[in-house]
Amino acid sequence: MGTIVTIEVLQPNADAAIDRAFGWFREIEARCTRFNPASELMQLVAQPVAQPSVPVPASPILFEAVRFSLMAAEATEGAFDPTTTGHYKDIFIDPEQNTITLTRPLTLDLGAVAKGLAVDAAARELEPFEDFAIDAGGDLYLGGLNPNAEPWTVGIRHPRREREVIHTLRASNQAVCTSGDYERGYHIQDPRTGETARSVASATVIAPSAMLADALATAAFVLGPDEGIRLLDRMGVEGLIFTPDLERAETRGLPRVA
Amino acid sequence: MAESPSNRKVANSLVALSSAAVLAVYAAGYTRTRGAAAKFETQTAERRPAPMPAPAAPAPPANEPPITEPGPALSQAPKTESPKPSATTVEPQPDPAPAPPAAVVETAPAPEAPPPSPPPPAPPAPPPAPTWKDGTYTGWGTSRHGDIQAQVVIESGRIASATIAQCLTRYSCSVIEKLPPEVAQRQSAEVDYVSGATQSANAFYYAVVEALNKAK
Repeated sequence: MGTIVTIEVLQPNADAAIDRAFGWFREIEARCTRFNPASELMQLVAQPVAQPSVPVPASPILFEAVRFSLMAAEATEGAFDPTTTGHYKDIFIDPEQNTITLTRPLTLDLGAVAKGLAVDAAARELEPFEDFAIDAGGDLYLGGLNPNAEPWTVGIRHPRREREVIHTLRASNQAVCTSGDYERGYHIQDPRTGETARSVASATVIAPSAMLADALATAAFVLGPDEGIRLLDRMGVEGLIFTPDLERAETRGLPRVA
Repeated sequence: MAESPSNRKVANSLVALSSAAVLAVYAAGYTRTRGAAAKFETQTAERRPAPMPAPAAPAPPANEPPITEPGPALSQAPKTESPKPSATTVEPQPDPAPAPPAAVVETAPAPEAPPPSPPPPAPPAPPPAPTWKDGTYTGWGTSRHGDIQAQVVIESGRIASATIAQCLTRYSCSVIEKLPPEVAQRQSAEVDYVSGATQSANAFYYAVVEALNKAK
């Protein structure tokens, strides 16, 4: 993932659990990376090149990451799409056999979903400790309360001024994820048109899981401020979108710090 | 996007699915580790003696300080750790007993013991290289952290190449990436140990042994 991961746990004696939490990042990265031809993901996408439509057995991690990605693609009508070439409708999953079938060669980028899944698995690992924060390069999960016994405070970066916070919100037992056009040469393409999405500077989503927050932030980024907020409302999550002109669109229930 | 009842249904199930997926992955991760631990006991019983092949495996480059996890501190000072597998030199070691149910908090993991210091180098004369049947063979090796599948290609009765076909360990197999070429170099499964990745190295060894058994 090439991401710095920070974990803070407020309760004592969490070292072993924190080790295991970091272990989830390594395990999920190892299976879902595009950068190692031997990874489970790369073996999956190699299958249809040799012979299409052959069901490939998948580990729970790969299977769930792909299943969620397909569902997110359906729910956002393709605004989120895990394929970078090809089409998500060429991917089929069999929950009985835990197999994935690609009917034609395509490329899959599970990066964002895998990172979210790793944050969520780490959060599950740390659940017994109640109060903790996980930061994986902007994918946040905030468990319980901060050291002041209040919901955690999360600053949303100003999309145009690197060191400034444009909005502050509170979160507890929630994930917060931001898709921004300023992230290391980040260009989010609209998978439906192939064009670079330009109507949003940053899209932030607060959701029960980081995997969901990340996928919906990407989709909202692509859809633009109006449709993006409608998507988040429909999904029952909160979010905040800034346009390149710094116009703000937000869901009605967006929590804010008074 | 059009609002439609079916759309809303998909939306609701997406939220539910994201939670269910995490639970499925979390539970399966530990189930797999448990199963691997049980198998590990069997393989340990027939474990190879531990001669250190000379030269001893160099420790992976310590290009990163050991992972220091944020302790129970009230300070907000972030401590960081890169999950980049290639730079990771410390594997957290779960309790050596088969992993208990996930809810049980394990005792703090001991850092992996370094491999025993090498015995005096007394390299035996290389045995006559066995010959194998030509073909491509795979085998599985097990460790407490998960399984590794090795693929061995035999050409003209000799090991032409060995690769890690699948890495299902909890940690990236990049820590043992130097091992597969050794199999062809040595015409043997006897690869080096890797400090900090003993379990993964053993799993790879067993995987190659199993693949070579199929080639006999």
